[in-house]
Amino acid sequence: MIAAVQFRNFKALRSTGVKLAPFNLVLGPNGSGKTSLIQALLRLRALAGLAPANEPPATDGGPRIDFAFTAPYQDIGVSLGCHADELVCNVLSVSRPPGPEGEALWEKLRAKLRTIRAYLFDHYAMAVPAKPADSAELASNGGNLAAVLAVWREKHPDAYAALQAEFLRLMPEFGALEVRAGAGGTVELGTRLKANGHNFITADSLSQGTLYQIALLVLAFTPAPPAVVCIEEADRGMHPRSLREVRDTLYRLSYPQDLGMQRAPVQVITTTHSPYLLDQFREQPQEVILASKQGQAATFERLSDRTDILELMKEAHLGDLWYSGILGGIPGET
Amino acid sequence: MKLAILSESPADEAALQVLVGYVLGRPFTTVQASLRARGWPSVEQVLPPIVRHLHFNTDADGLVVVVDSDDSVVHTSEHEAPGYHHALCRICRLRSVFRRATKNLPPARGRERVLRAVGLCVPAIEAWLLCGHDTSVTEQAWLDGQISGRQPYTRRELKWRVYGTERPSLQHETQRALQEVSRHHGDVRRLENDFPNGFGALARDLRAWQLPGRAG
Ligand SMILES: [Zn+2]
Repeated sequence: MIAAVQFRNFKALRSTGVKLAPFNLVLGPNGSGKTSLIQALLRLRALAGLAPANEPPATDGGPRIDFAFTAPYQDIGVSLGCHADELVCNVLSVSRPPGPEGEALWEKLRAKLRTIRAYLFDHYAMAVPAKPADSAELASNGGNLAAVLAVWREKHPDAYAALQAEFLRLMPEFGALEVRAGAGGTVELGTRLKANGHNFITADSLSQGTLYQIALLVLAFTPAPPAVVCIEEADRGMHPRSLREVRDTLYRLSYPQDLGMQRAPVQVITTTHSPYLLDQFREQPQEVILASKQGQAATFERLSDRTDILELMKEAHLGDLWYSGILGGIPGET
Repeated sequence: MKLAILSESPADEAALQVLVGYVLGRPFTTVQASLRARGWPSVEQVLPPIVRHLHFNTDADGLVVVVDSDDSVVHTSEHEAPGYHHALCRICRLRSVFRRATKNLPPARGRERVLRAVGLCVPAIEAWLLCGHDTSVTEQAWLDGQISGRQPYTRRELKWRVYGTERPSLQHETQRALQEVSRHHGDVRRLENDFPNGFGALARDLRAWQLPGRAG
């Protein structure tokens, strides 16, 4: 979907670019541009909803972000820029093939850009009973998890059943995952343990990792997936041994055909601080992006472009190489 | 017989359970569920504490350890000469770690030491899984490739051949591994023929456990 992003003077991203794969794991210290990359995509989504500017983007040295896309949108370029007196990118310019065909292609791409989503899950918000809603879409903090599953149960029973089955496979200690009516007209999420008399366990008694796992499954099984999903800290709360399954769940989004699913792939951009999650990608270095900060300037680099590291990976763990500092993508120490 | 298996993933462990049973030719129980290493070189680091733990805290007769060779030196019959040790061969290295880890342990739980069975998948377990299916995949083919500098296949290609994708889910990987090893129906002669050093070493270690005077 998005082939590459080029930054100029966007926060710490002074002058750097990143090519994006169908799946992307971004590593780096705080302030290295991981979140800025996600913010840029959210800006793209927001501005894609407005009419594009008539003039080309300003070239006065202000913030500018250029996007390139994969087929069939490879001939369209989108730039975000801002007027000289503004600090936030607020102008979207499009270069596209001329004529009605070019117009139609841009409108198709624009509709897809409007579906970009970013998530930073909050297990406290997820554990609270939710107001019933018509939307089957997960909120950016996962706070409406129970309401989404209640909608799925009514309107998308196949997706609901598939999610339940996968949850029970991943967490065999549980015998059921359910939503039920809660106090004050809310819906609440809960599970039943196989042991313990199958009592209903409310979401506030579930572990952080269990709630995040359910949220990831909601993204992986959603009937109308977005074109691009950004997930911050996908490994949070997860046991190191379960990170292979986390990777599998995320791959389900990017490579649905590999799992026999018939739907469009979702481009995934996820961030992590976990060497153990990184280890899961040793066979796919083209999916790993290293974000580094030198002084005030942040840059991106693909692990597959670091031939020196690929050689070292033969005798050391990728996660350990990252921790050691030779990969970059580590915080400065004082 | 009671044993423990140290592997890199649940899929590898499932396949090894079957293969170890085929070599032993009789039922066994595992004393310690799912011992896991993060892969080479972690195996070398975690092996001594694991051996010690099994020796004192369990009644395991032996420990099975199988690692991938990746691009390292492949164990050959020359390495079996008394006193020989190849510093870049993972079987030689693991055997030496084992020796050091068990050397000064006092007898415990009625046995001298925990026995070892070390195997090497050349270059990865997918090669073993293809045994009998794909005759181009053998230890000799890989060794020839190391000498000529042109490997006959890559790890990625082996994954494709076994799973139909480079990114199999753990569930799919486990199912395929079990399907493929079960094809041998208890007869590991083909595996020993095509993988005489990596699989052969594992099989010979396991059979030695059953010699008179050893655990059994
Ligand atoms: Zn050797």
